[in-house]
Amino acid sequence: MPKEPIHILLADDDEDDRLFFKEAFEEIKINTRVHMVNDGVELMSHLTNEGNPLPNILFLDLNMPRKTGIDCLLEIKRMAHLKDIAIAIYSTSSSENDIENTFVQGANVYIKKPSDFSMLKKILEQVITVNWQYQTSGLNRDNYFLSL
Amino acid sequence: MKLYLKFDSNIALKKIIQEQFDKLQMEYDYLGFAEIEINDSVSSVEIRKLDECLNNYGIQIVENQKSVLVQKIKDTIIEMVYKEEKLPTSNSAYLSDKLKQRYGYLSSVFTEITYTSIENFILLQKAERAKQLISTNEFTFTEIAYTLNYSSVAHFSNQFKGITGITPSSFQRIIKKRRENSTNLK
Amino acid sequence: MRINPIFKSAIFLKAIFVLSIFMLFYISSVSYKHTKALNESSELLVHSYKIQFQLERVLSMLKDAETGQRGFIITRNPVFLKPYKSVEDQIYASFIKLKALTIVDQQQQANLDSLLKLIYARLDLMELSLEGIRKKTIDENQLNQNLLAGKSVMDNIRIQINKMEDREISYFNEHQKKYETEVIFSPISTFIFAIFSLLVFILSFIKINTDVSVLKKSNTQLMITNESIKHAEIIGEFYTTQWNLATGELTYSDNLYRLLGCEPQSFKPSIESFLEFVHPDDRIIVQEAEDNTKLFGKTLPHFYRVIRADGELRYFMSMGKFISDDKSRMHIGIGKDITSHHLSNVALEERNHELEQSIKELESFNRVASHDLQEPLRKIQTFISRVIEKDKANLSEQGKEYLTKIESSAHKMRILIDDLLLFSRTNKAEKVFEKTDLNKILDSANQELAHEIEQKNAIIQSVQLPVINVITFQIQQLFVNLIGNALKYSKPGIPPEIKIDCEKLAARDYPDFITDTRKKYLKISISDNGMGFDQQYAEKIFILFHRLHNNTEYVGTGIGLSICKKIAENHNGFIIANGKPGIGAIFTVYLPL
Repeated sequence: MPKEPIHILLADDDEDDRLFFKEAFEEIKINTRVHMVNDGVELMSHLTNEGNPLPNILFLDLNMPRKTGIDCLLEIKRMAHLKDIAIAIYSTSSSENDIENTFVQGANVYIKKPSDFSMLKKILEQVITVNWQYQTSGLNRDNYFLSL
Repeated sequence: MKLYLKFDSNIALKKIIQEQFDKLQMEYDYLGFAEIEINDSVSSVEIRKLDECLNNYGIQIVENQKSVLVQKIKDTIIEMVYKEEKLPTSNSAYLSDKLKQRYGYLSSVFTEITYTSIENFILLQKAERAKQLISTNEFTFTEIAYTLNYSSVAHFSNQFKGITGITPSSFQRIIKKRRENSTNLK
Repeated sequence: MRINPIFKSAIFLKAIFVLSIFMLFYISSVSYKHTKALNESSELLVHSYKIQFQLERVLSMLKDAETGQRGFIITRNPVFLKPYKSVEDQIYASFIKLKALTIVDQQQQANLDSLLKLIYARLDLMELSLEGIRKKTIDENQLNQNLLAGKSVMDNIRIQINKMEDREISYFNEHQKKYETEVIFSPISTFIFAIFSLLVFILSFIKINTDVSVLKKSNTQLMITNESIKHAEIIGEFYTTQWNLATGELTYSDNLYRLLGCEPQSFKPSIESFLEFVHPDDRIIVQEAEDNTKLFGKTLPHFYRVIRADGELRYFMSMGKFISDDKSRMHIGIGKDITSHHLSNVALEERNHELEQSIKELESFNRVASHDLQEPLRKIQTFISRVIEKDKANLSEQGKEYLTKIESSAHKMRILIDDLLLFSRTNKAEKVFEKTDLNKILDSANQELAHEIEQKNAIIQSVQLPVINVITFQIQQLFVNLIGNALKYSKPGIPPEIKIDCEKLAARDYPDFITDTRKKYLKISISDNGMGFDQQYAEKIFILFHRLHNNTEYVGTGIGLSICKKIAENHNGFIIANGKPGIGAIFTVYLPL
């Protein structure tokens, strides 16, 4: 694990989910810096703002007002300087079909929001670890899929 | 039209190192296993420069001993998973044998540096190899399971799903659709 | 018989007719010639006779004169000279006649002249003799000489007369021969041709007769058909139009007028007068169809509104095409008042639309409700887990217990909502049917159940499955549910054996509930050696939320099989359950191909 903190960006319109997320990362023993935005529009403007460092991994809720997660996903994948960011879809349950579809559209990770906090911590930890492997150990990013 | 690539990462690595060292006009000796011998008199500034150049290719100069060992362990594991025709029955025995160290020691160093276990890393690599084999579309799931030393397709699917969260056929579908989408875009 | 058409063709008949006319001409000309020749012959005969008569008369008169002379010479009685006196005049009269009669024959004329000379010579000799005797100047010797000379002249006269008579006779015979040869052939040929012509006329008569009776028959048929059409038009509420391209004549059937609310044939048929009844906004439709008729060679079906004479709005449909025979091209059009049909269609469409809207709303409601119910529920669960984790120390035992129970209820609710969501997603709308390899789907399903399969050491066998048109994910769900059930309800301690079989059904093997025998069906059976179930529940188990076991024995919400049934229905197929308690169960899915 690197000395520098891992940059994490979360886009979720739900206040409670953002709380869970923040607290979970505070309790995980990995060095992380977490930034949060409230919806898709904020997300895109944050990402396109050159002053902001790009995150190592972006956690993206699907059901957001103004701009949905899928719209953001497609937009990010079309931008040359953003398309290599690892994207983890963070959503309430969906059908297998929909999950596969988000992967096809370019997502790397799909997380079904768990209903247990310790489960959430475990999942986030796993995601960060695996993501780190993909960023350092020369694993094939084209095959980077993880569904939790 | 589509091109499928198969590559030998070692050769690629050697070539890149050669280019970079030549560019910086540094002498080196390639010892294999991503180990290079350079002159003791090379300054840390030059080493940093070299590090920066190599970073462009995703290559990093690993600093301390333990990191070196961890890197060796990773490389061995990768070789084990990718190079061998059929995976060995005991991973620990294989690693211990190749690296000439006690497996327990290897395991603790690995966990200390990477925060994950060797087993986990091996599983991850196996899953990666599985993904590679699946995306070639040349093998059946049964053949892949056998190559990766699983007792059955069910066992293989189980573990694959455990690592990635999706089933092998789901993965196959996704890859196929992604390819179709990118050709459609063109 | 190919000859028949030739016989029947109009050209052949005309040819035969012309031929017969010619034959008649021929026959009549032949008859005319024949008759003429006959006349000529008889005239010639009379002519010859007349000549012969005159010649004989002349001879006879000469003989009389001779006899008279002889008598006078013998008796010297002047009584015997009476005939002699008138002889010359009479002979001259006959000669004039003879000259006239033989005027065409130069030879005979010459002969006549020679004869006349001879006769005058004879008469002179007779006169000489008589003169001598009267005047007593002639002696016996001279008299004998005269008489002898007279005799030889007389002989010459006879010879000449014979010559002339022979000439006439031979001439006559010649003519007669010619006439005879001509005349032998004619009657026979005439007779033959006459018979032939008679035959032709008889045949023609027969044909004309039959043609006329056929025509009469078709005429009657046509009249009947026309009447039926007229009635059909009234009953079927349609009309017909005819437009003769050659003459430009336009005909409207009576019912057209009636459908427009007018008396039949109350105005002259024309496109303009028709358009007056068409709704102003739709007139362009009718006009365009009219113009396009020439372009496409037929009138394409078009729909337009009509305002009847009584002011009522009606909906019409028209179309037409060209028919032609060798003489002319005719356009026949047909139109129908489809008002009732149209209105009921419109009503149906509206109801359909309303239904679709309802369904969409319900589905949307379902999905949103389930989804939106999940969020608060999840939060409840998460916060509870937080409380338990963080404030474990501060909680009483009872507190912890209560929280655990809350968590458990929330969990159940969560599963229920998950299943409901799954069920509501299993709809048909907007789902794509694609050609799918069922073997691959089965593999995917098995991989999803990999954990349970491994855990129970299950053996799953399948025959080769075909490639068919299905909603891929739904069939995968179907397999997962059915195989999952087989695994779940296996006999405790006994590894489950699941067999998947497949066959294409022939129509005669269709079970009772398949009524559409035109479709082909694929029969997939999934059988297991698990606990089975009582066959009396075979239909109940597909009911939503219906379960045969309570939750403590086997976890489940009872939605799995309902989803399977819905999936089968989405594919216009069926699913049947068969169970034997303690032995196993067979689930059969019928999918149309």
